[in-house]
Amino acid sequence: MESGNIPVLSVNEDTIPRAYEKAIREVWEKGASIRTEYDHPGDPPSRDATVIIIVRNPFGQPRFHRSFADGLGGLAEYVMEVVHGAHDYWVKPLEEILKGTKSKDTRWTYTYHGRLFEYRIEDKVVNQIGAMIDKLSKTGYTRRAQAITWNPKLDPPTEDPPCLQRVWGRLCDDGEGGYIYNMNTHWRSRDLFKAWFENVIALTTLMRKIAEAISQRTKKRVKLGRYVDISDSLHIYGSYFREIEGDRKKGIKSFFETLESRSFEERTWNSDFIKSHFINDGVGKGLRPMLEREKDMPKKVRKAIAEELRLMEEEDYVV
Amino acid sequence: MKIFEEIADEVQKGNSDSVEVLTKKALSQDISAEDILNNGLVAGMNMVSEKFKNNEIFIPEVLISAKSMYSGLGIIKPLLAESNVKSKGKVVIGTVKGDLHDIGKNIVAMLLQGAGFDVVDLGADVPKEKFLEFVKNEGADILGMSALLTTTMIYMKEAIEMLKDAGLRESVKVIIGGAPVTEYYAAQIDADGYAPDAASAVDLTKRLLGET
Repeated sequence: MESGNIPVLSVNEDTIPRAYEKAIREVWEKGASIRTEYDHPGDPPSRDATVIIIVRNPFGQPRFHRSFADGLGGLAEYVMEVVHGAHDYWVKPLEEILKGTKSKDTRWTYTYHGRLFEYRIEDKVVNQIGAMIDKLSKTGYTRRAQAITWNPKLDPPTEDPPCLQRVWGRLCDDGEGGYIYNMNTHWRSRDLFKAWFENVIALTTLMRKIAEAISQRTKKRVKLGRYVDISDSLHIYGSYFREIEGDRKKGIKSFFETLESRSFEERTWNSDFIKSHFINDGVGKGLRPMLEREKDMPKKVRKAIAEELRLMEEEDYVV
Repeated sequence: MKIFEEIADEVQKGNSDSVEVLTKKALSQDISAEDILNNGLVAGMNMVSEKFKNNEIFIPEVLISAKSMYSGLGIIKPLLAESNVKSKGKVVIGTVKGDLHDIGKNIVAMLLQGAGFDVVDLGADVPKEKFLEFVKNEGADILGMSALLTTTMIYMKEAIEMLKDAGLRESVKVIIGGAPVTEYYAAQIDADGYAPDAASAVDLTKRLLGET
């Protein structure tokens, strides 16, 4: 890191997997070495940078990279968590959240869905995504359609405050009587190697839901524009270096060697392949197992996920 | 035998339908369920495990292979039970109380099953009493505990203390893992071993049970 400046990097690619691979290379090669609160004793400092990533076609195929820290069914459940609030019921009560690190309740302090769709301020609950859809449907060119997650009262004292900070969207005319929905997301801090990809699959699914809702409201076609992802700290933790670097003596390939040993098609999947695994991955995860397993999930959320399941079973639905 | 190679190959590729067809075909050729298990399904998953350890394949691919192994295992399981085939050891595994993260634990459970161990997966958010109950009732050789939070890893220590109080500590080896867990912590709480990743957990289990 020259003269204490955190590098600022940018990536501009057509699809999510291309952007993901490029971002890992960029941060690995050009990132600064900085410690984080999550490092283990003896871990090297993380590789870290401020990064802006542009995905020009967020639903372009292949949409799924094969390198991420979960199975496909687990990824589907995470998407349901962000888009439909599948795990909002795992959040602990307010009085426990207010205890900060002193709380012995290990349930979560927030979910992205909870903050975006049911943000609590004073005695009100605000559906910020609903407000974005309202605002954009009335005035597409507005610059005020945004949803925040940060709660300055609840988040600073907790061990694990939200990484996502803000979602911002704007409509542009497509020149054919319809709209193009552009979306930016802003992140305080981000695990590039083991969280970025799943985050982006969920957030771009949300992007599509917003576009669909605006389309229904305005009775106009709304296409998806570029998705832009801005992280103040996009990092590769020191504890992952073993995976990234490999170990020639032990015959362990570096992450980049593994990428290079396969064609792009062999390190990615199309949405068509993913669909059945999203429904049920055969190892206990996916939408169907989730509905069977999570009996305490509120009815309203179950209904939304059941509807998602119905859509996924339609041939032309793209996950 | 060629059919074993074919089953192992299809497990590696994650082709559940082919594994199912080949398993049925092997049974129709009077090949024993035990041989299909060890020379086909387990052999295939061992290759997957080795590739995963060497960074050659990614986590979702391991899980797709595990799905295909299960599709074959589902067919031969009743026959294995009938013929009283002994596994390489019994592992009780779970994520500790208060912790809902289960991906790391799930991968360890699948790789262990793929390596021929009998795995009882208790899921996530498992109280220490449940670990104790299953270690005792199942006659476990290994207890595997996972935690992803600094606030929940303390329950690993409590579970080990409970095993000691129940006089079961000497009869079971305890292994731990998860993002905040370290080798030092394992020694501190008197676990028998720590695994930094899923493939190492399989090696550790084999080592503790004297297989390697």
